[in-house]
Amino acid sequence: MLESLYAPIAALLFPGGLFALALGLALKGLDRRLAARLQARVGPPLAQPVYDLVKLAKKRTMVPDLANESVFLGAPLIGAVSMALAAALVPIPGFYTPSPVLGDLLVLLYLLTVPAIVLMIAGSASGSPFGAIGFSREMTMMLAYEGPLVLVVAAVAMRTGMGMGGVISFSLTDIITYQQNHGAFLFDPVMWPALLAFLAFYPANLGIIPFDIPEAETEVLEGPLLEYSGPALGLFKIMSALKAVVVLGLGVALFFPIAPAGVAGLLVQIAKLVVLMLIGVTVVRVSCGRMRIDQAFRFFLKWPLALSILSVAIVALV
Amino acid sequence: MTTLIQTLSKQTRNMAASSPWIYRINAGSCNGCDVECATTALIPRYDVERLGCQYCGSPRHADIVLITGPLTARVKDAVMRVYAEVPEPKVTVAVGVCPISGGIFRDGYAVHAPIDQHLQVDVNVPGCPPRPQAIIEGIAQAIAIWRERL
Amino acid sequence: MNFVKTLIRNLVHGPSTEVYPFGPAWTPTHFRGRVEFKLSSCTACRACEQVCAPGAIRFDKTPEGLRFLLWHNTCVFCGLCEHYCPTDAIHQTNNWHMAHATEHQYEMKIQQLIPYVSCTACGAKALASAPSPAGVEPPFTAEEIELQRNLCPACRKKALAERGV
Repeated sequence: MLESLYAPIAALLFPGGLFALALGLALKGLDRRLAARLQARVGPPLAQPVYDLVKLAKKRTMVPDLANESVFLGAPLIGAVSMALAAALVPIPGFYTPSPVLGDLLVLLYLLTVPAIVLMIAGSASGSPFGAIGFSREMTMMLAYEGPLVLVVAAVAMRTGMGMGGVISFSLTDIITYQQNHGAFLFDPVMWPALLAFLAFYPANLGIIPFDIPEAETEVLEGPLLEYSGPALGLFKIMSALKAVVVLGLGVALFFPIAPAGVAGLLVQIAKLVVLMLIGVTVVRVSCGRMRIDQAFRFFLKWPLALSILSVAIVALV
Repeated sequence: MTTLIQTLSKQTRNMAASSPWIYRINAGSCNGCDVECATTALIPRYDVERLGCQYCGSPRHADIVLITGPLTARVKDAVMRVYAEVPEPKVTVAVGVCPISGGIFRDGYAVHAPIDQHLQVDVNVPGCPPRPQAIIEGIAQAIAIWRERL
Repeated sequence: MNFVKTLIRNLVHGPSTEVYPFGPAWTPTHFRGRVEFKLSSCTACRACEQVCAPGAIRFDKTPEGLRFLLWHNTCVFCGLCEHYCPTDAIHQTNNWHMAHATEHQYEMKIQQLIPYVSCTACGAKALASAPSPAGVEPPFTAEEIELQRNLCPACRKKALAERGV
């Protein structure tokens, strides 16, 4: 069992960096294949995201005349690197605990905002009106879903902290240990409002239908990504693959980190991610239509925010 | 060592050729050919995603360009600008008989067909409109040409 | 919750995608596809040239005869030529495999020649009209038809008048 790995190896190879990228691309391939089968089509081969990245590496990146070139080219790099680092911060219950040098849940929360900010900056640095629309819509969505996320994380941290005798504990290791001793929060009725709020948050963060408004193909011609081509676009695809691993891994760590120790823990984590991807992402993506930006904003300000405030109140009082 | 590099580059070329992204340009078409192109992606019966294709919303993301319609005078400048946005290497497919010769609008005063006097076309798919299977056949030929250009 | 039933049904029944291009595709029998021209039935009436909607059919007078030219890259497969041809010389098959590289685009054509012959009576230039037009039953024997084919229109008029009905 690996207690903690030397931080750069964790960030670059395993479990961040290359391992998370391979896992993310495999999840995306499964997602596209299952989505096709659910729509009675055959669908692409499972390795299709890898082929897409190889092809994008062979094309050339064209920078628009009106764009700010350094920001235009630097934004996807920052996004991909931040998500590779965040994948090293997500613990694999029973197999990998991130070293304290890398950071705890607060650092992970901040790193989770970086992809959205990078998309916004990319949109505004593109110098095109569609990019500007994508920038404003991404900002609106971020305002909508960040509130419930922070409150859900606070509720989980408070429950762990109070259960261990303190007030609040932002260490993911403590959260996992508490759940392994006292039962997962998935089955704890006190945490069910927080669970519901998280279930509303992650489709918006991952950018899947019904909340993939900023990158809507038919409405704003791909929004912030409109002017990107070649390796820069490939870095954005890498960022979104890594983000899926990070967000789903965070959901597993916050609500259901029960796993055997050792390599079996790694396999159980991969199985959980696959199940979450197929049921939580693909089925949702295939069965819904896209919401309008004002509908999505109003939705998030109503139910998920209310549920997350309620969960913090309940955890504080119980 | 050189054979390793050669096999590696051949493998990456094959992998890259499994992911052609398609962009449609409607150069004044009656929309018949565009509907048939849309059915190749949206209808489960003629799934073009099996070949790795994906209809993208931005010309910057495209590898294969499908052009429909006789190049009407009104959209000629816009089409030439959008066509220049597609990065190399790219392959152009003229769908329907309108881009190849003007089709039913031949010798009209408002059309600038044939389109290959303004931009380079690689594959023609005649038909008015061509069947979705014929469009997929044209896309398959375009993928073969694109593989050589990668 | 209809969508759950639809999703389960799609998963259980499997994809409903046609096998093409990895297998043959089903084509309806009367699909209006590639045009075929039967030279032996064409009487050079030029009705198809008149009704062709995009002007894909052209007849040109050359020193050797009348040349029929049809370019598939401007044919809209409407079927008017087949409808109006009186002798079933031009008809549409159901072949839709016409995608080609642009360098071959001027080879997608039908080019046939209806030759001139010298009239056996007066020696003037005449078109050899169709030896076997479909759907036409002239009340003559085969040898008589062969004799009349090689006459120019003026001499043929005289020969038929002398023969009587």
